[in-house]
Amino acid sequence: MKLYSFIFAICFLSHLTAQINPLNGVKESKPTYYALKNATIYVSPDKIIKNGTLLIKGDKIEKYGTLISIPKEAVEIDCSDKVIFPSFIELNTDIGLPKLERKGREEQPQIDSEKSGSGYWNEAIHPEVKASEMYKVDAKANKELIEKGFGFALSRQKDGIAQGTGIFVSLGSTDFTALKMSKDLSFYSFSKGVSRQSYPSSQMGSIALLRQAFYDAAFYASHAQRENNALKALNDQKSGVQFFDTRDKLEIQRAQKIGEEFNIQFVYLGSGNEYDIVNELKIKKPTLVLPIDFPEAYDVKNPYVSRQIPLSQLKHWELAPMNPSILAQNKIPFSISSNGIKTSADFWSNLRKAIELGLSESDALKALTVTPAGIAGFSSQLGTLEENKYACFVIYSKNPLTEKAEILESWSMGEQTILKASSPESIAGKYNLLIDNQKFKIDITGDPDKYKGKLTYSTTASELIKDSTTNLFVDQIGNDVTFQFNIKDSNWNGSVTLQGKANSKLGIFEGDGLLPTGKWVKWSAIKLEKAKAEKEDVKANVSDTAKHLWFPNMAFGLDSLAKKENIVIKNATIWTGEEVIQNGSVVVQNGKIAFVGDGNFKTPTNARIIDANGKYVTSGIIDEHSHIAISNGVNEGGQAISAEVSIRDVINPDDINIYRQLAGGVTTSQLLHGSANPIGGQSAIIKLKWGETAENLLLDNQPKFIKFALGENVKQSNWGDYNTIRFPQTRMGVEQLYYDAFSRAREYAKNKKSNPNKYQVDLELETLLEILDGKRHITCHSYVQSEINMLMHVADSMGFKINTFTHILEGYKVADKMKDHGAGGSTFSDWWAYKYEVNDAIPYNAAIMHNQGITVAINSDDAEMGRRLNQEAAKSVKYGKMTELEAWKMVTLNPAKLLHIDDRTGSLKVGKDADIVVWSSNPLSINAIVEQTIVDGAVYYDKDTDALLQQKNQAEKARIISKMLDANSTPDAKTQPFFKRKKGHYHCNTLGEELSTEENHH
Amino acid sequence: MKNSLSFILISLIAFSSFAQEKVLLVNGFLHVGNGETLQSALIGIEKGKITLIKNSLAYTVDKNEWDTIIQLNGRHIYPGFVAPNSTLGITEIDAVRATRDFNEVGSLNPHVRSQIAFNTESKVISTVKTNGVLLTQATPRGGVISGMSSVMALEGWNWEDATVRQDDGIHLNWPESIDRGNRWESNAKIEKSKTYEEHKREIYSFFEMAKAYSSTDKNDNKDARFEAMRQCFKGKQRVYIHANEIQQLVDIIDFSKAFDLPFPVIVGGYDAYLIPRKLADAKIPVMLLRPHSLPENENDAVNLPYQLPFLLKQGGVKFCLQNEGDMEAMNARNIPFLAGTAMAHGLTEEEAISSVSLWACEIMGIGENYGSIEKGKSATLFVSDGSALDMRTNNLFLGMIDGKFITLNNTQSELFEKYQGKYK
Repeated sequence: MKLYSFIFAICFLSHLTAQINPLNGVKESKPTYYALKNATIYVSPDKIIKNGTLLIKGDKIEKYGTLISIPKEAVEIDCSDKVIFPSFIELNTDIGLPKLERKGREEQPQIDSEKSGSGYWNEAIHPEVKASEMYKVDAKANKELIEKGFGFALSRQKDGIAQGTGIFVSLGSTDFTALKMSKDLSFYSFSKGVSRQSYPSSQMGSIALLRQAFYDAAFYASHAQRENNALKALNDQKSGVQFFDTRDKLEIQRAQKIGEEFNIQFVYLGSGNEYDIVNELKIKKPTLVLPIDFPEAYDVKNPYVSRQIPLSQLKHWELAPMNPSILAQNKIPFSISSNGIKTSADFWSNLRKAIELGLSESDALKALTVTPAGIAGFSSQLGTLEENKYACFVIYSKNPLTEKAEILESWSMGEQTILKASSPESIAGKYNLLIDNQKFKIDITGDPDKYKGKLTYSTTASELIKDSTTNLFVDQIGNDVTFQFNIKDSNWNGSVTLQGKANSKLGIFEGDGLLPTGKWVKWSAIKLEKAKAEKEDVKANVSDTAKHLWFPNMAFGLDSLAKKENIVIKNATIWTGEEVIQNGSVVVQNGKIAFVGDGNFKTPTNARIIDANGKYVTSGIIDEHSHIAISNGVNEGGQAISAEVSIRDVINPDDINIYRQLAGGVTTSQLLHGSANPIGGQSAIIKLKWGETAENLLLDNQPKFIKFALGENVKQSNWGDYNTIRFPQTRMGVEQLYYDAFSRAREYAKNKKSNPNKYQVDLELETLLEILDGKRHITCHSYVQSEINMLMHVADSMGFKINTFTHILEGYKVADKMKDHGAGGSTFSDWWAYKYEVNDAIPYNAAIMHNQGITVAINSDDAEMGRRLNQEAAKSVKYGKMTELEAWKMVTLNPAKLLHIDDRTGSLKVGKDADIVVWSSNPLSINAIVEQTIVDGAVYYDKDTDALLQQKNQAEKARIISKMLDANSTPDAKTQPFFKRKKGHYHCNTLGEELSTEENHH
Repeated sequence: MKNSLSFILISLIAFSSFAQEKVLLVNGFLHVGNGETLQSALIGIEKGKITLIKNSLAYTVDKNEWDTIIQLNGRHIYPGFVAPNSTLGITEIDAVRATRDFNEVGSLNPHVRSQIAFNTESKVISTVKTNGVLLTQATPRGGVISGMSSVMALEGWNWEDATVRQDDGIHLNWPESIDRGNRWESNAKIEKSKTYEEHKREIYSFFEMAKAYSSTDKNDNKDARFEAMRQCFKGKQRVYIHANEIQQLVDIIDFSKAFDLPFPVIVGGYDAYLIPRKLADAKIPVMLLRPHSLPENENDAVNLPYQLPFLLKQGGVKFCLQNEGDMEAMNARNIPFLAGTAMAHGLTEEEAISSVSLWACEIMGIGENYGSIEKGKSATLFVSDGSALDMRTNNLFLGMIDGKFITLNNTQSELFEKYQGKYK
């Protein structure tokens, strides 16, 4: 909070604004002095006074307390039994602002901005947008928020990556009332919103774009000569409060990285699963704005459907309502927002649910009042009911944090709005009714708003006495009650209407009634028992859920993170990557290999002993070309060059395919950008440490790589008639694009060198410069020999190297040239015929390139194939007559070499990382099954543990589903149907942020 | 060296041979296809048929009796493997629309036939048969009823020569029982049961009309669609019903009973392992989805797709493997390794072999002539240097379809040879 200054400009009420409104008619006076007495007053989250008085003068609170003498001129309002809370403050809304809609599909993609005026080149960056210029009072929307207890809202147009600034408006006034802000309250997100411009098309693109914009703003601040509203706004906003709207916990971590780079402490608008990263949040303790739109229970009555609901979603359903309390326990500051919740009933019941699950009342209140007031910079004016603050509060019939309460009045800066007359005491219950000496039983249920009634009377038919019931119409206005029923028995036939007064405290009614006969009679009713109060929420067992946070929090998640162990694997057939050792041992200590061989070794203390008698031990498989564990887009296809984007920014540690690949013996993967453009994005090398955070998956000090691509994908050959305007559309254009890009990079370097303190940072060219300086390696997606040859020519003449040609299905045609250039090849074992440019692909490719002295790897590019790369390597024995050891290297040591990490992994050698797989038999055999996978000395997959995890999955699922069934069966329970997403994963050519389910063209 | 000599020898034979020849294969390890094996087997082939199966050691060969005698030296003999439910031969290059001949316009197309679109000269086919896959079921895709498949041999001058069984069945895509959200709308919520029941009703009513139509052969108004379905009710054609989810499978059992379908077959069957008894009792076989698939659900066992064949075997369900999915035509050559993976995860070796040979042929209605190496059956078989189910040892020494040798070269081995020239 210390970040925010507490000195603020003076604020004005609408009728105290600087302008003078002319008057129509005579001047009316309104009372400006009020005393609210006998109330329970929540002055602040930690200060509650009972039987207190609140004195309001003008728009301010003058005084509060229990022993206050009420001035004579004050209007007294009796608030006995009522509860007063400070008005809540909503920070995440767009009320009163025009809704934007994305333009429909047009004939061609839109590459350039269509905006005119002084803005940024990309339509998703519009920090200059000001909510204050567009805001109009929306009474209906205001009322919805008021019913949730809110009195103020920070509203902004929810669109784009740099969204602009918000406006802080009062909800209670009929006229426009906004508090003057002492600084910009601006908003950011990773969603490009309604912009139709093709860039960015992925989250990593959004990240790069925002970073570039911040760099541009910095340059503008010191060197600009031309006016630019957008860059100016970005700079202005740095001294204010910058909110970042996120859709997932991972986005908070991604935005935090940007914040660190530009020294911005964002306030995060959360998504509801922050509980899952609480350990990371504890470090920096950023301020959050949490939604409480907890997921509704799935309809799990149909077992065929419920069995398909992923455990991760079930677990989220259970844990989401605990999100606020978990964060509070960990002392993460947060405010609570009603964003995403439609009805006030849902808002209140979710709030109470969060409190039942451990959030203290005072923390809840703080999150709705003091904290948001502080974030927005209005601590001295709003958030509590202390002296001199604005008189903004809400009067409730009961404490709404503990039970269903009615909102009676909302006060906004001294202005009273009566929302509802205090409801009369409910008359629900069972009564004996006596009308003209006839006895009846009546049963009234429901609320004063809407009662339901039944009347029971006896009829005698053929000597049998029978009870009949009829509907009883019940209406109550204040203390007046009206009953009406139709009856047909021996006495009466027709409608009986009764009017009377209730004394609900005593449970007695009496009054006059009109019988069907036209006779007026006296009637009375005496209460037998009170209707049972409906219990609103089912108490959940807190301890029962808290321990169920897994790493990751989904199927096959671990109770705690895997730890490095001392391990001895003995009696094994060892394929070190260089040789075969029979009956040997591998010793692991401190995450490294301490011994490999068939001689003597020292057993480390507390070592896990794995008897691998009859089994094979190898180093872990390295997949040179993978797209697993990536979220929100694998391709930044919006531009032909996207060197500025990085897969490292969008690692998704919760991808089940990490675990599945461990089960296939994979320990390291290079996650590549897709092949949508000639110069793609930067790569990430990860170790498959299941359960760890995105940051911890990344290999330490990893060599830098970038993806290039050639051929049909970059010229958009198979992407329909829509995508035909982006340059290049032919192989001819691809060559020119490269020459031009690297020439620009050279010029950039020259300029940078001559003006080291005055050059405009260009993230794209910075990356290309790294290539020219030999600091970043290229992995190039390639198929056809002509263009492979071309790229090597470009590289040679511009002075850089192609490190790896990936796919490289025609590598066998130019293996000699590749050898001369020094390029390696990472290829598919046997794929072909999926598009025209792979017509000449042959499965002998790997062997031919290998025989020409090229370092060759076999890769997957496919989450399914990635888990049986041992089989793919074995195909080289079939098609190229390669020896088993050479074939095996193609999925271990060779990819390590191509990735420049062979000094740490890729073979079993003392001192290397303990990335080890124990196989049931020869790993190239079709019968080989992975028994254990060890990464950096920790066991991340074990066949026997896997069986236990499956049982654990089942038990956890059953437990949560039974809980959901309870939720399903409570009256008025809301459920959502489960919609299964098509199984999809990223391929090279997957566009956009969604997973692909389409034909794979690689 | 010896290997490559015989390689050339066989290639020569292949080019000059005729099915009429009498061929004797001596001393191979025979995998019959029905679960049995025979060491040192001797197999006689005459006019495309298997006429003799003996133990080599106990049989004296009269050299004059045979045109060609081939010593196998313990190599493995297998019945020709099968690629059921495949677009092999009716597509060539996935991304080139002009080569995609498997998806006709319209939703109810039982009359559309794959047989005549089958390209015997497909280069992809040339690379599939050289791994031991010698038969395929050319299967149309798309719509509710995609059309009719035909079982084809992977060798022939034209589709007529290559046809093993014409129009073996129609392919019905059972509607999705659980709506899968539109991938562009993250909260596309459509009530599951509504469309499912409606689509199911549409299928029922179409079959009701078709069945009524087929009850007489004196139809006043000819309807090509119903004509095509006549045999589905008479028992000469299969009804292949593509479905994976348990709800669908249970409903298909009811559907098959309701129409008294003589030969319903489930294609896909991911969830079949959950209701093996039901399927076994209903005698509905399953053409099981590609084992090299990712699990459908987050919490499914990591190896579930690998284990499905074993689970169905254990549950008494008749099944075979198939390969539908990404790049299925090209990938048909990996069918032997699908069987291998099924073996690694529970099937016995001979069961794994049956799952891509005899069982597939039985399900498609050609089991009497194909799928196993037994006296009287077609000589559709191959010989591999080692286990054909293992990548390292699947090396064809010879292969024949209906007694006719196949070429062991293909477009890819030719390119290999060509570029060997470059690097001399």
